[in-house]
Amino acid sequence: MSSESSKKRKPKVIRSDGAPAEGKRNRSDTEQEGKYYSEEAEVDLRDPGRDYELYKYTCQELQRLMAEIQDLKSRGGKDVAIEIEERRIQSCVHFMTLKKLNRLAHIRLKKGRDQTHEAKQKVDAYHLQLQNLLYEVMHLQKEITKCLEFKSKHEEIDLVSLEEFYKEAPPDISKAEVTMGDPHQQTLARLDWELEQRKRLAEKYCESLSNKEKILKEIEVKKEYLSSLQPRLNSIMQASLPVQEYLFMPFDQAHKQYETARHLPPPLYVLFVQATAYGQACAHMKSSSQPPRQDKTLSVAIEGSVDEAKALFKPPEDSQDDESDSDAEEEQTTKRRRPTLGVQLDDKRKEMLKRHPLSVMLDLKCKDDSVLHLTFFYLMNLNIMTVKAKVTTATELITPISAGDLLSPDSVLSCLYPGDHGKKTPNPANQYQFDKVGILTLSDYVLELGHPYLWVQKLGGLHFPKEQPQQTVIADHSLSASHMETTMKLLKTRVQSRLALHKQFASLEHGIVPVTSDCQYLFPAKVVSRLVKWVTVAHEDYMELHFTKDIVDAGLAGDTNFYYMALVERGTAKLQAAVVLNPGYSSIPPIFQLCLNWKGEKTNSNDDNIRAMESEVNVCYKELCGPWPSHQLLTNQLQRLCVLLDVYLETESHDDSVEGPKEFPQEKMCLRLFRGPSRMKPFKYNHPQGFFSHR
Amino acid sequence: MERAVPLAVPLGQAEVFQALQRLHMTIFSQSVSPCGKFLAAGNNYGQIAIFSLSAALSSEAKEESKKPVVTFQAHDGPVYSMVSTDRHLLSAGDGEVKAWLWAEMLKKGCKELWCRQPPYRTSLEVPEINALLLVPKENSLILAGGDCQLHTMDLETGTFTRVLRGHTDYIHCLAFRERSPEVLSGGEDGAVRLWDLRTAKEVQTIEVYKHEECSRPHNGRWIGCLATDSDWMVCGGGPALTLWHLRSSTPTTIFPMRAPQKHVTFYQDLVLTAAGNSCRVDVFTNLGYRAFSLSF
Repeated sequence: MSSESSKKRKPKVIRSDGAPAEGKRNRSDTEQEGKYYSEEAEVDLRDPGRDYELYKYTCQELQRLMAEIQDLKSRGGKDVAIEIEERRIQSCVHFMTLKKLNRLAHIRLKKGRDQTHEAKQKVDAYHLQLQNLLYEVMHLQKEITKCLEFKSKHEEIDLVSLEEFYKEAPPDISKAEVTMGDPHQQTLARLDWELEQRKRLAEKYCESLSNKEKILKEIEVKKEYLSSLQPRLNSIMQASLPVQEYLFMPFDQAHKQYETARHLPPPLYVLFVQATAYGQACAHMKSSSQPPRQDKTLSVAIEGSVDEAKALFKPPEDSQDDESDSDAEEEQTTKRRRPTLGVQLDDKRKEMLKRHPLSVMLDLKCKDDSVLHLTFFYLMNLNIMTVKAKVTTATELITPISAGDLLSPDSVLSCLYPGDHGKKTPNPANQYQFDKVGILTLSDYVLELGHPYLWVQKLGGLHFPKEQPQQTVIADHSLSASHMETTMKLLKTRVQSRLALHKQFASLEHGIVPVTSDCQYLFPAKVVSRLVKWVTVAHEDYMELHFTKDIVDAGLAGDTNFYYMALVERGTAKLQAAVVLNPGYSSIPPIFQLCLNWKGEKTNSNDDNIRAMESEVNVCYKELCGPWPSHQLLTNQLQRLCVLLDVYLETESHDDSVEGPKEFPQEKMCLRLFRGPSRMKPFKYNHPQGFFSHR
Repeated sequence: MERAVPLAVPLGQAEVFQALQRLHMTIFSQSVSPCGKFLAAGNNYGQIAIFSLSAALSSEAKEESKKPVVTFQAHDGPVYSMVSTDRHLLSAGDGEVKAWLWAEMLKKGCKELWCRQPPYRTSLEVPEINALLLVPKENSLILAGGDCQLHTMDLETGTFTRVLRGHTDYIHCLAFRERSPEVLSGGEDGAVRLWDLRTAKEVQTIEVYKHEECSRPHNGRWIGCLATDSDWMVCGGGPALTLWHLRSSTPTTIFPMRAPQKHVTFYQDLVLTAAGNSCRVDVFTNLGYRAFSLSF
């Protein structure tokens, strides 16, 4: 075995020294220049299987040789070294073989890899080509679809249908023989026909326009004719005036008023119409024996400049020229006269609060010949109405000091309906407008503009609902009509009650309580306590009094009321009465709060009898109203107060420990002096028996 | 001093009148229903209002729970006194006593069960009834008031059984002494009189104003309130509030209060008392020591 292998081996070794085998060497020569040994070529020639066998065999030999060397070494001896040497050399040879085999294996591997790589590259190249072709296909497909989808403009035109086309088109356009067969030609023909039709229609249009112009001119001519008719009619009307006066038909006068009324803004117009209608209805309801047109309790008139009203609606052409001039002026004198921000704001405010130039005047005449003059204005930008009031009497009025506010234009109409103080604008949209120009509240301007009471808006048909603020509030006749009668009646009652108070105050300031004869039955014949003082009191002062706290806490002392102080005296006793007079007097009673200074200070908080006295005047006021319209309420209350003080002082129980007689001997007839767990005094006066009892 | 100004509400005639009525209203009497859930109150206008105590005292009470469940006009004059039996509410006003069924009163428009008037001597002025007292053992009601007499009415038959005379001025208050049985009455004439119900006679008289320790002449001599605890009695009004030992008719303790007292009651060992003019209910022990005051 070893000799065989060595034989095999040896030729190899010899080859490596330069003695090649025939076949292999020739090949290598032909492949390369010179004597160059190529192991790579050799790889192709050898059989991998046989190389593998050779490898296994070589390994076996090596193992055997090593084992023999081991044996020899362990045996020891002289000729061992030579044997070992021999075997060593053989082992080296085997090693060489192994090395060669290793190289061959590497080369084979490398070749294999190279081949795989080449094949892979080829495949990649084909793959790329494939991708390119696919991409082109897709591109072409897209192009094809685009072309297929192309719509020409001509398809958007609505052409007449085919049957109509063949019916209507003249033969030289339709060219039936050609077009029937060829859809392309057919479409062309149809487009031609469309063009024809459009041209014809354009012509017709021009014709109609010129017709229209002609007709307009004719209308103009006729209008001029009619307008020339108007002055002729007017002259006829003028000529007929004397005839009207003769027949007592002031047709023309009313007509003139209606003319002016046409220029009124809608709310004022509503008010004017409704007030005139009401006035006429009242006049009719009076007895027919009176000649008409004389007894008018309500007369309506329109004041103001009609031209200004008309000017409101003209386009502001002239004003534009003025503006440009003023701009030029401003540019010249820049630094000195530039308007300040404050002035600009002021102008804006004035603009916002501007009144309509026309106003409606209502004069309400009362039975005693006193007249209430009401002037109604309309604020255009705010869409609200305001009113200014004035009271004139038949005879000159001397105003007592305490009655200063009663008839003043500012407060005479305050709270005609409960809570209607007229200091705030009733239109909620106005608040935004005010914010823009810096107006805090309308109450700063009411003196010159008038009061925007709620009933005024209602008379003008304006309704501002709180829940759904509307964009535009329009004047409504039915709203005005439904409120007219009540409001007029309230106004008359208000004026008359204020005038009555006026007269009464004059008397009260002199210390006399004016009780009319038909109210005398409410009081005993002899009243000793006297009213010594009657003055007005400011609202803040009333609130500061220590005995008015209950009224203030109950919310009955608002700033729309009038406040007075009355002083009743008898002997050493002084009774102060603080009076709250509601503007709605006399339907809302005056409220009294008492403070008695006699043997100490007694008020309703420390003396139940004072409380009972207040109750007699405040709660039981209905007995004191007197005949309708109850103008006597206040004076009756004051008189009763005097009677109550008498009763209180006379029925005060005598203190046994103090010496001397009672200051006030009892003169009033009373059944019992004390009653009930609170030991009340008898304050109720019974007529006609004339004695006092308890409630 | 700046006072906070409340908002003035726009008031029409009706609202102003209502506000004035309430400002001048005085509640004179009250009574709790037998079930304990309702409170009846009577005022000077003759109206009775029923409040629901259970609703007002519950944890979810709102403003409306504090308003009356029902209000009706019971009498023409003020309702000075009210008392409850186990089924009825008895109210007294100007000279008459009316009975109402508690179960019916919560419905609107209820009418009185019966209305009785004790026999009066004069007919010129109808005397008021200031105090009502129930005597459960006899099932009768004692009334006293402006005519200076005590009347007893049998609740079953409605007849007036006794008349006790002796006061010289009208009677303010009544109290019941269980042991004897006796009724105590205090009046405007300044005397506290004890009456035996069986014999219908006056047994004892205490003229409070004649005792120097407690009399206060500047207030008057009237006795406004009475309470008794069988051996002891507390009374006050014009004279100072005093604790009396009944058997010996001597004042033992005088309570230091300036204002005339309007209501007093014994509670266990304490005396609770209230004056009409202040916001306090004072609590005393028997020894005259003021334990504390309950205040509004």
